[in-house]
Amino acid sequence: MSHAINNLLTAMADDALIQGHRNSEWTGLGPVMEEDIAFSSMAQDKIGHAWALYRILQEDLGGSDPDHFAFLRNEKDYRCCHLAEQPNGEYDFSLLRHFLFDHAEAVRYGRLEQSTFAPLQPLARKLKGEIKYHLLHANAWVSQLCRAGDESYARMQAALNRCFPLALGLFEPQEGEEELMAAGVYPGEKALQAEWLDRIYNILSPAGLNLPGVEAVTPAYGGRRGYHTEYLQPLLDEMGAVFRTDPEAIW
Amino acid sequence: MYGGGYIFDEPNKRQLKDEQLHDDPEKLAAFEARIARGEKIEPGDWMPSEYRRQLIRLIEQHAHSEIIGALPEGTWITRAPGFKRKLALIAKVQDEIGHGQLLYNAAETLGKSREAMINDLLSGKSKYSNVFNYPAETWADVTVIGFLIDAAAIVNQVANAKGSYGPYCRALERICYEESFHLKQGHDAFIELATGTPAQRAMLQDALNRWWQPIMHFFGPPDKSSVHSEKLMQWKVKMASNDEMRNQFLDTYVPKIWELGLSLPDPALRKNDSTGKWEFSDPDWELFKKVINGGGPCNKERLNVRKWAEEHGRWVRKALMHPGEKITAPAA
Amino acid sequence: MENNQSLDPRVNRLQLSISGDPVVVRDGENWNVFEVFHQEKRGAHHEHVGCVHAPNAQLALVFAKEQFGRRKKCVNLWVVRSADILAFNTEDEDMFANNLEKTYRDASGFKVMEKINRYKKSGKE
Repeated sequence: MSHAINNLLTAMADDALIQGHRNSEWTGLGPVMEEDIAFSSMAQDKIGHAWALYRILQEDLGGSDPDHFAFLRNEKDYRCCHLAEQPNGEYDFSLLRHFLFDHAEAVRYGRLEQSTFAPLQPLARKLKGEIKYHLLHANAWVSQLCRAGDESYARMQAALNRCFPLALGLFEPQEGEEELMAAGVYPGEKALQAEWLDRIYNILSPAGLNLPGVEAVTPAYGGRRGYHTEYLQPLLDEMGAVFRTDPEAIW
Repeated sequence: MYGGGYIFDEPNKRQLKDEQLHDDPEKLAAFEARIARGEKIEPGDWMPSEYRRQLIRLIEQHAHSEIIGALPEGTWITRAPGFKRKLALIAKVQDEIGHGQLLYNAAETLGKSREAMINDLLSGKSKYSNVFNYPAETWADVTVIGFLIDAAAIVNQVANAKGSYGPYCRALERICYEESFHLKQGHDAFIELATGTPAQRAMLQDALNRWWQPIMHFFGPPDKSSVHSEKLMQWKVKMASNDEMRNQFLDTYVPKIWELGLSLPDPALRKNDSTGKWEFSDPDWELFKKVINGGGPCNKERLNVRKWAEEHGRWVRKALMHPGEKITAPAA
Repeated sequence: MENNQSLDPRVNRLQLSISGDPVVVRDGENWNVFEVFHQEKRGAHHEHVGCVHAPNAQLALVFAKEQFGRRKKCVNLWVVRSADILAFNTEDEDMFANNLEKTYRDASGFKVMEKINRYKKSGKE
């Protein structure tokens, strides 16, 4: 059982870490100062979520030091999905990814408030307010940009088409998932995905965007088993660049 | 974060024209009396056009310095070692953007739009602090910037916060509060390297050596070579002379560097106990001018990155803009 | 940076244009201005803390939350279009000038104890 919980938490933490990193790259480069500040805060929140999960792995499941675990593993040992790994590209892609990712987080943490794995409950409650703001931000942007002229609408639809199969990778079946469901740790990826699809449909449809059918696309799976896109390794090299020069030193 | 070394108008232009001072002697007298009483000037008040012009210039350069200042440290956002340093660095760079936002708003109350200021930055017409035209080569550079450049900026900003223009003072009050976090996190990271492994110490010493001259440049040319701007002092636009601020910085921070057993690349640097003033070798002021005029190692990249951000953010701004809408300046 | 390689890996991913063409931001592209009011705790007044540029009130509030509520205590924020603020001209400050003299509006203008003491004193005599 602890092996399965380990898998789940590592996947969640790695998603948040890599997504937070990507979003943090916008700090100082955003489309307008006010948005730059908001997006940076949410990037910090994500990295903070990852840190909190790595600490649970360390304190409750006998894992290693969060800094070492987060920044010094081999690529194969990361469990993040391919959505988070993609480079930022244009702001449309980053915004849509943020929208899909944060709704997934909201669904997941919402369910974890009732998890039988005790350390997850207080964490889920603690992050609730932060995630609520992330959704307010994402929903406002997506809804407004879809109603803001042809170019803006076309960009949002194109970004959705590109992000959607990648985002399904957020719900790639986890090893040991049935065991966790039976024990009441969480309801399993399938149930989370269904709830997520409902939620995003309720925002995207009034905004006039066409949500591709789940059956019509190939979900970007592999991340949960350690198979990653070409973009992860260079990012990991960067993230650990200073740390790796002397992992024993204090920075 | 960053003030210091502002480029006021060239000396020949700086001579205040008679008609600017005497267009309405009664109003000018009331304005100057208000400042002399220690009261603040607010956006709707009558003010001499030269006061308005120099303030826009000052606040605008300060704002540009913040958003350009986000770039050298931003260099290390993806590589910052460990969670704590990484989050602190992102939060700090974010604050610089936040400071830029506050300062552009303050300048807008004087009648220049944010768009016009950004355009003047991109075209090179308006300057920013020279120090950000140098590269952050290693992680140690981030700690030197966070500790010493922010410290220098605080000296400058605390002085400016006592100035006469209300909106600028209010922005600076908030900025100075956040700078105290910057300085502390910078000092902490700096000390970690200074007290760490031999390789960490060497990295820090190397960064100090490279940044010392830009830091000495930070407060601008010595008072003796710059035309006295007595009017700007009287109007509380300029609050302290370059030499005074440089001396105050050296007095507070050189001991904090030396106490860690680090050296500074200036054998002449010492405090003269009889005068209480610091002595140092004259930094290369020709280089200072060259960098201001675009000849620094990173001038081109800094502006190109800003241009990228403006260009690639345009569709977002344009999609939600309301053409023809009357744009209002901030109220205060 | 002659080879256009930056020390910042983020910047290298941006693929900066080296054309040197001027970039011009159009008037109004940074949207309109909203004043922001911050409430530190329940029961306290909302106090003016600054402003944000935003295309509408909804995004103004989203922006204000991080620009003015990311540090220190905050329980709520208001945003209002700067254009909707009505204020006195600063030269009309003299309308308020005699406030402090109008002691009949103020508790300090009424010396009750003096009168009581005078009465008590007079009764004893």
